[in-house]
Amino acid sequence: MLKTKLAASAALIALLSNTSVLAASEEDIEMLRSEIQGMKEAYESRIENLESKLEKMESEKVASGQVATAPVSRGAPSAANSFNPEIGLILNGQYSSFSEGDSTIRGFGTPGEGARGDEGLKLGESELNLSANVDDKFRGSMTTSFASEDGTDSIGIEEAYIETLPGMGLPTGMSIKAGRALWILGYLNEQHTHVDDFADRPLPYRVFLNSAYNDDGVQLSYVLPADLYTEIGGGVFRGDDYPLGSASGSGPGAWSAYARVGGDIGDDQNWRIGGYMLSGDTASRTSNDGVVSFTGDTTLFTADMRYTWAPTGNPYEQEILFQGEYFWRNEDGTYQDTNAATGKVAFDDHATGWYAQGVYKFDPQWRIGYRYSQLQSPDIPVGLAGSLLDSGGHNPDAHAVMMDWSNSEFSRFRAQYNYENPASGIEDNQFLVQYIMSFGAHGAHNY
Amino acid sequence: MKWLLSSIVALELLTMAPAYAEDQLNVFACEPEWASLAREIGGDKVEAFAATTARQDPHHIRAKPSLIAAIRRADLVVCSGAGLEIGWLPVLQQKAGTSNTQRGSEGYLAAANYVPMLERPTRLDRADGDVHPEGNPHVQLNPHNIALVATELSNRLATLDAANASVYQSNYENFIERWQEAMVRWENEATDLKDVPVVVHHKSFTYLLDWLHMEEVGSLEPKPGIPPTSAYLEELLRSLRDQSARFILRTPYEPDDASEWLSEKTGTPAIVLPFTVGGDDQSVDLFGLFDSTIATLTGAPNVE
Repeated sequence: MLKTKLAASAALIALLSNTSVLAASEEDIEMLRSEIQGMKEAYESRIENLESKLEKMESEKVASGQVATAPVSRGAPSAANSFNPEIGLILNGQYSSFSEGDSTIRGFGTPGEGARGDEGLKLGESELNLSANVDDKFRGSMTTSFASEDGTDSIGIEEAYIETLPGMGLPTGMSIKAGRALWILGYLNEQHTHVDDFADRPLPYRVFLNSAYNDDGVQLSYVLPADLYTEIGGGVFRGDDYPLGSASGSGPGAWSAYARVGGDIGDDQNWRIGGYMLSGDTASRTSNDGVVSFTGDTTLFTADMRYTWAPTGNPYEQEILFQGEYFWRNEDGTYQDTNAATGKVAFDDHATGWYAQGVYKFDPQWRIGYRYSQLQSPDIPVGLAGSLLDSGGHNPDAHAVMMDWSNSEFSRFRAQYNYENPASGIEDNQFLVQYIMSFGAHGAHNY
Repeated sequence: MKWLLSSIVALELLTMAPAYAEDQLNVFACEPEWASLAREIGGDKVEAFAATTARQDPHHIRAKPSLIAAIRRADLVVCSGAGLEIGWLPVLQQKAGTSNTQRGSEGYLAAANYVPMLERPTRLDRADGDVHPEGNPHVQLNPHNIALVATELSNRLATLDAANASVYQSNYENFIERWQEAMVRWENEATDLKDVPVVVHHKSFTYLLDWLHMEEVGSLEPKPGIPPTSAYLEELLRSLRDQSARFILRTPYEPDDASEWLSEKTGTPAIVLPFTVGGDDQSVDLFGLFDSTIATLTGAPNVE
């Protein structure tokens, strides 16, 4: 608008000066010219001034918040389903082929999830997650897993928990989670299997945790106010999930504690190490399809470390991940193997296990990885000789190599080869191919 | 349980004393440009921490331990928003953010909420790649957006630290004055760039192109967030025969192979723009960022 006005007045001036030019001298023309120039400059600077004022006013208007929605029209729709929770679904399928018919890990009671899966084409675990902020203080989340094992479809509650939000007013960095959850215990336990870098869990997770410890309970975590990331926490649990079992009575059957620290080395490298423990009474715990049972006290110590390296700290293009965990489990009670008719045999010893893995992302879509895992079976009393708990001095171990391709962060295909020695003289060559896809809401991942 | 709580308290007492001696306002900026803006307006009253560098893709950052420790100290979190940090920021906020730095709080400033957004998708489908429902989140390359965010940032700082409100106000006024002058200069310098066609790697420069009235005629990614494929690049190459581009633009964190390939095939120069503060030697602050961006574009070969 201002510009048209200026143009109009300039035209008028030009017209006027044109008519007078007939009689005017060179001097007059020069004077008029400079006058016009002066006017033009004055107008321009005024316009510039006005424009900058306008811009400032506009930005202040936006900033004052009253119209925060105006320039971006961020008005949320107000339908009845506006408050529906975030819904995410994981689809997963697998083909497996094994060279050995029997892959029982000797020397340990191995629970259902700890055994290798079914052979052939098979639907993997599909997960449905619903989560939402309940109100200003709580968040709720539920993950149901749908699996098919030995031809039967089953539904399991993998997680169903509430957790406090920072609005709860607990000290900054502290939160409490209650219900059933993948509790903080080592590195992998906290994460859903579809996030794993390999198609199956390493040996110590299979025998010590039945893939993951997700008992019912309460856990507190607290990030300390330190420059170096330091987190501590602990919890009490029902004591129903492997490596515990058959809790009864009102008292908690188990408790846990952990501490971990982590940081950066320059821009490129990040690390985290931690120590964890879980201890509880086991009223009765069966494994190996009900053949092996244990009653007594279980104490599990775990240490984990993770190290990531990415050029310039940009993991999207290239990245190397190293990760390892060590397990030490003591059991004090009685073991029984009904197939071997051992009767109840007093047992007090420890078993250990560990794995280490490296994954190299050499392209935004391609990764390769190698993992080695090993178990050290406990010394057994003579009463258990010849039972499944008798490893015959063999320490089970396994090598795994994998390669995966991700079209986007929502879809991944993976091929994996395992060479496992679950028992003396058994060499199991396993070939696995899987896909993992997720759609809908997809939560951010931990480190 | 009791011993746990008392040891927590003891540990807290042990660790908190040294770190909290100074009374500066801690600003956690998701990207370097917002840390730089916080330094302009906060001056010595704020301690600004940038969670990422110019060499890191802000879409894909790990929720690493150091960031959890850093967000715990933050009085104000400043991010681009619009889903750019959705893969990592929520974990940090949930784990250790204060209640005042959560979404919707005074201590959380998402730049995307205060600027006019471009490229808001009309449909939401993952088949379209990594789409952001709120619009393109790379808002920092239009200096007018920086001015808008600066206004909001100075308000937030004044609210959070009322004792120094006048300092923030005068820093802000000083900044805006210099910024307005600089914008006039950049716009004058860039007049020749009007209507210049460019190819971009990712839709990182939408706001820059919109500001300078340049034209995006193609992108190396077939869909946002999907890496270039050779078949798609061949197709792009064919389309560029009809509509040739003047530059192929990429950020410092994007790989060079696709743009170098296209550059070789077409003779169009492939150039790296700083994208954010720290993106090249000249981009030491926001002024340097735009000085360098304009100088690179106008000084690059092939510009009449």
